[in-house]
Amino acid sequence: MREFLTDFETIFNNAIFYYAVVVMGSYVIFTLLSAIEMNSYMKKNSYVNYREILVSPLAPSVSILAPAYNEEATIIENIRSLLSLHYGNYEVIIINDGSTDHTFQRMFDYYQLEKVDFAVNYQITCNEIKGVYKSKLPSFSKLTIVDKVNGGKSDALNAGINVSGKDLLLCIDVDCIVQEDAILKLAKPYLEEKYQVIATGGVVRIANSCKVEDGKLVEVNMPRNLWPRFQVLEYIRAFLMGRMAWSRLNGLLIISGAMGLFDKNIVIKVGGYDHTTVGEDMELVVRMRRYMYEQDRRFKVVYIPDPLCWTEAPADLQILGRQRNRWTRGTIETLWTHKDLFFNPRYGILGMLSYPYWLFFEWLAPIVEAFGVCVFILLALMGNINWEFSLILLSMVYCFSVMLSTVAIFFEEMSYQQYTKGKDLAKLLLAAFLEPILYHPLTVIWAIQGNVHKFRGKNNWGTMTRKGFKNAEALNSTANTTT
Amino acid sequence: MSIFNTLFNYIGQIYTDRLPYFPTNIRVSLLIILFCVITAIELYLYMMVRRAVRSVRSKRMKYWDDYISVLLANMIVFDETDHPHEVVAHFYPKLKKIPLRSKVVNSILVEKILTYHKNFTGKTAEVLSLMYRKLSLDKKAKRKIKNRNWETKIEGIREANEMDLMEMAHLIVEYTDDENALLRMEAQAAYIKLSQSDPFHFLDRAQERILDWHQVVLFEIITKHKKLTIPSFSKWLYSSNDTVVMLCLKLVDHFMQFDAAQEVIKLLKHQNPKIVRKAVEIIGKLELEDAESFMFEIYFNHSEEIKLEILNALGKIASGNYSEFLSSRIYSADVKIKKEALYAIKIDPDHGEEKLRTIYLQTGQENQALIKHVLDDRIR
Repeated sequence: MREFLTDFETIFNNAIFYYAVVVMGSYVIFTLLSAIEMNSYMKKNSYVNYREILVSPLAPSVSILAPAYNEEATIIENIRSLLSLHYGNYEVIIINDGSTDHTFQRMFDYYQLEKVDFAVNYQITCNEIKGVYKSKLPSFSKLTIVDKVNGGKSDALNAGINVSGKDLLLCIDVDCIVQEDAILKLAKPYLEEKYQVIATGGVVRIANSCKVEDGKLVEVNMPRNLWPRFQVLEYIRAFLMGRMAWSRLNGLLIISGAMGLFDKNIVIKVGGYDHTTVGEDMELVVRMRRYMYEQDRRFKVVYIPDPLCWTEAPADLQILGRQRNRWTRGTIETLWTHKDLFFNPRYGILGMLSYPYWLFFEWLAPIVEAFGVCVFILLALMGNINWEFSLILLSMVYCFSVMLSTVAIFFEEMSYQQYTKGKDLAKLLLAAFLEPILYHPLTVIWAIQGNVHKFRGKNNWGTMTRKGFKNAEALNSTANTTT
Repeated sequence: MSIFNTLFNYIGQIYTDRLPYFPTNIRVSLLIILFCVITAIELYLYMMVRRAVRSVRSKRMKYWDDYISVLLANMIVFDETDHPHEVVAHFYPKLKKIPLRSKVVNSILVEKILTYHKNFTGKTAEVLSLMYRKLSLDKKAKRKIKNRNWETKIEGIREANEMDLMEMAHLIVEYTDDENALLRMEAQAAYIKLSQSDPFHFLDRAQERILDWHQVVLFEIITKHKKLTIPSFSKWLYSSNDTVVMLCLKLVDHFMQFDAAQEVIKLLKHQNPKIVRKAVEIIGKLELEDAESFMFEIYFNHSEEIKLEILNALGKIASGNYSEFLSSRIYSADVKIKKEALYAIKIDPDHGEEKLRTIYLQTGQENQALIKHVLDDRIR
């Protein structure tokens, strides 16, 4: 028995070691790729005058689709902010997804809405649209309000797509703070790539503790609360390193639900957002990609490193846990729905690299990690642990994690340097040391919970309560519940 | 203190005496740890030093920025009665004292002159041009254009473009078909402004694609440049480079070049659907009645997008020859086609809306909803 346990420990150590080395190796490769991609982007765009797209009649037209569910506290300000974006040819479509508060009434009164005879072409299935409204005031001519029966975020976006009259769709969360030049930057790849661009995404940043005035970000600060601070680090790592690298490989599987620009024709051809999944943002991109492969059309999904959208990260562990639980379920659902992509050469990099990577390193990683911890505890209880070796292996993972976060902070420093204050940088670097000990174990637990909930058939979004950006008054105001 | 000593001794031992005796995975792990620690420390140091250097540099830059701004501002508002050469002669010694050998100072000065030159015309622009040349910055720009690095080349081309260095046109034309898309675009944009004899010569030799983004930039320059003599773009509509054809179609459209009508009609048979669509759009805008039969001929063989464009063009031409065809399209199975046909009928300023109201009384519920939509000017 003793011998068996010793052998098992050796095999276990080796298995964990090789898995960790492969994961770390992939991170190193991604870091290099994203460095190349970012460098190329920064060089290329240092010569760009975005004003040219702004005033050009040749620029593609854009519909901004923003679903709203019980957003009465901030909806007026959010719409005003969207209407002031810098772009020539665009419209703002707010989809009131059957709000049970006064969201619709507030919009109706403030923007002096009136119903129009809009004949909706239901190209994509969605719940009944009760009415389409336009403002009587000419200054709000770009605004369209769609009032519909509640059906969730995906359903609301599909309704918006059916009403949209432009070439591109900018799907956003209505409570996000969008940078004024966001559309210009997201639209540019549609004009400059050799192949058809079907979707573009930009970096989403954390707005907690930042100063916001009139729906615009005026001062960037590091979140005071520790949990959003860890998320700042996590987002920088994910967006500036992960997604940029995938963009370089043209293997990107996800465009953040908070903000993404899509080719309307392709979105309609693939049937719009899937109502049945909680990971609708990832699922749509995967479906669009596979459609393009099936049509034998060359295409690109592009990610740009500019910080374009600021969102409030959950500061409460319970809410954060719900969000991560949902993300895990969304990943599982997308991977399951498109299981035929697995190592399928017909789908190029999507089938041969992106899908397997997500399966092994995004979905399986927390499971392997949790399994490893359980076995480690079991072996420790049985006295079959070589503590020195285990400590060295753990130290390796810890040091690698700190280094990776440091590289991400370095990327941020070299590119957009949003955190200009020295103390903010110090806080971020300190977070890199604490994150593997304090935050990462929680993300693993939430991912495991997500797996358990998925396999037990739990399929809801979970309540996402936000504090809002406005000010102290708004911080204590009614919680907003997103669709 | 002893704990740290023990720890350092232990770490020292595992990386020296004991290292060869560890199993492979542990040895590799130890090396990875070492690599990570060194990389992280280097990055911390680099970030700290970079911030410190940037802080010092920004202070220095601010000093020179203010100093140069004041000098140039004085030069601009100097006695209006003076001749430009006199103004330059007065300020040259002061500007010459600036340490132009420093790259930072040199780039601040160039940037400032370029910005002022962009924002002023007449005598002020002339004074700035003269001073630019007097300081031999034009020679530096020429060296930049000849540099091997494409980014430096672009800097030089931009300078030449802004400062109207016409003599650089022959150097710049070489890059108008360069493999590097950014360099190509900058060169094309500058060449249009700088070539006095044949600013559109690059279109004759363009083998590389003129990307949509470049088309936006070139379109802006061509349509906004007041001194440019606009040629008939029809001569490039036969180009083998589709992107040249597309750019010229956009320009034909903008300048309403009726002389290109026959060439545009011929493009209805082009194999690139984007070109066909644009040609149809122009036919509509130019109201080319002669093209109606050709468009009708190709209507059924094309994609929905082109069909919609043809319906729109037929509506704009409004000759009445195809009004029955437009009316028949409202019974199509495709809602988009129906809607576009209704819009096409509506375009006729004399009878459009009246005709729609007549159809409204004779048609089904779905079409009635569409007609209501089309008649509502607040929506499209």
